[in-house]
Amino acid sequence: MARYGMVIDLNRCYGCYACAMACKVANRTPPGVFWARVLRGEMGTFPNSVRQALPVLCNQCEEPDCMKVCPTGATYKTDDGIVRVDKDKCIGCAYCVMGCPYGARYKVDDWNSYFPEGLPLSPYEEHTKEFWEQKSGLGVSTKCDFCIDRRAEGKEPACVQACSAKARVFGDLDDPDSEISYLIKTKRGFVLRPEVGTEPKVYYLPPR
Amino acid sequence: MGSAKLDGQVQSEWRWLIAAYLFLAGVGGGAYMAGVIADLTGGAEWMLVSKIGVFLGVPCVLIGTFFLLADLGTPTHAWRVWMKPGTSWIARGTIIIVIFMILAAIHTAFWIWPFAGPLEANESARHFIGVFGSIFAFLTVIYTGLLLGYSQPIALWRTALLPVLFFVSAVSTGLMAIMIIAQSMGVAVAQLDVMENIDAVILIFELFVLIVYLYNAYRTLESRPSAQRILRGPVASYFWLGVVMCGLAIPLILELLGRHGAILTIGALLGLFGGLCLRFTILVGGIFTPITASGFVFARVHRPKDPMPAMGKLPPC
Repeated sequence: MARYGMVIDLNRCYGCYACAMACKVANRTPPGVFWARVLRGEMGTFPNSVRQALPVLCNQCEEPDCMKVCPTGATYKTDDGIVRVDKDKCIGCAYCVMGCPYGARYKVDDWNSYFPEGLPLSPYEEHTKEFWEQKSGLGVSTKCDFCIDRRAEGKEPACVQACSAKARVFGDLDDPDSEISYLIKTKRGFVLRPEVGTEPKVYYLPPR
Repeated sequence: MGSAKLDGQVQSEWRWLIAAYLFLAGVGGGAYMAGVIADLTGGAEWMLVSKIGVFLGVPCVLIGTFFLLADLGTPTHAWRVWMKPGTSWIARGTIIIVIFMILAAIHTAFWIWPFAGPLEANESARHFIGVFGSIFAFLTVIYTGLLLGYSQPIALWRTALLPVLFFVSAVSTGLMAIMIIAQSMGVAVAQLDVMENIDAVILIFELFVLIVYLYNAYRTLESRPSAQRILRGPVASYFWLGVVMCGLAIPLILELLGRHGAILTIGALLGLFGGLCLRFTILVGGIFTPITASGFVFARVHRPKDPMPAMGKLPPC
């Protein structure tokens, strides 16, 4: 069985937010919910400072903290290592939101309009909300699943396809000949917050 | 670390509803424990105080669980909460509070009409239930601290002091609730004095624990933004006015004065309000530790608007 993972090359990423937008389009997330997002960091003091973008998403951990704290067993791991939420089992307690060290969890109570307050949902938004309710559900915790629907159609996750810098590589960590295994081995791949012990499957290549 | 500030995203999921639950579970569990101790150590004249404490246990915790249900995204699925007690403190906690409520209800039944006849005289059975129930009252009070402490990214909660703080606050607020009711039911002044003195000692200890807790939070780099948020940030008005003034200083001064009547009631009510503010302060003071990698500290640039208003402007609750 495959064990899916992702490599994000920080040397290539220039922080264009295409991944965040592509994810929104592919997964129909409501306002304020970013399964894929971009963080900004700064090192040093001006004028001797460097800025760096850090695209983050669910790390699909081998030992997920969100699964440990979930009281109902709604959070589960599929055979190929993807951490998912069963929307029919989730009670929306938000404990996983507190437990995830990467801030990848979002509890969504309602699919609100993107337009200013008071306006009804546009027809496009109605469709989008319906899609969201069927797939992710309302009043429950939601998260990235490495675009499970797109992969079923044989496509790459939306953030990988949209990356204009080709900074993202998606693949099988168990396959020693895959591109991501090669990149992690040869380019000093590292994971975020290794001290937490969750064994993430999203790797990063150093910025320089 | 460079010059970048460790400035993470503010926790915004658990707010007043959870604070209300933490507070009510604390009052119920604390009052129950105090009631049992009064029964075990005091003589016949402490019976009424003991009854008040034990009677407070079930309703407080039960009302609290309704707040918990109200906070759930899908309350109709709430029964699923027992599905995975192996690793989740929410699952363990709900088992604990259910056992506590059952034991406290049995204990209460010792003094209620259909059961009181045969049971009231049976002191050893009542004491046995009381000790057993107190264990679960204790767990009810402290498990919430462990639950919050299990959160990896929120360093403010990730400390062994939090259960201690919750326990001390629970006992003191529980005693205050007992005192208010005891006075209105005409308990002797001598007993009120004893309770006031005990509560004053507990309040001093609570102040000590709170100082150590916040000092620790400030000294730890990850939780310093949280400590700053509580001490002089947007939560500061709740902390200084609610927790320190209403919750600790005023009740302590009034208890040390040793007055009764309206002054005792006001002090105890303010103390209860302070207990609620303490839970709220700790909840909304929680900040997610930002991610650091390759020497950078990564913050969210377009972070959602902080739901807490600027200091000095209390929103309608």
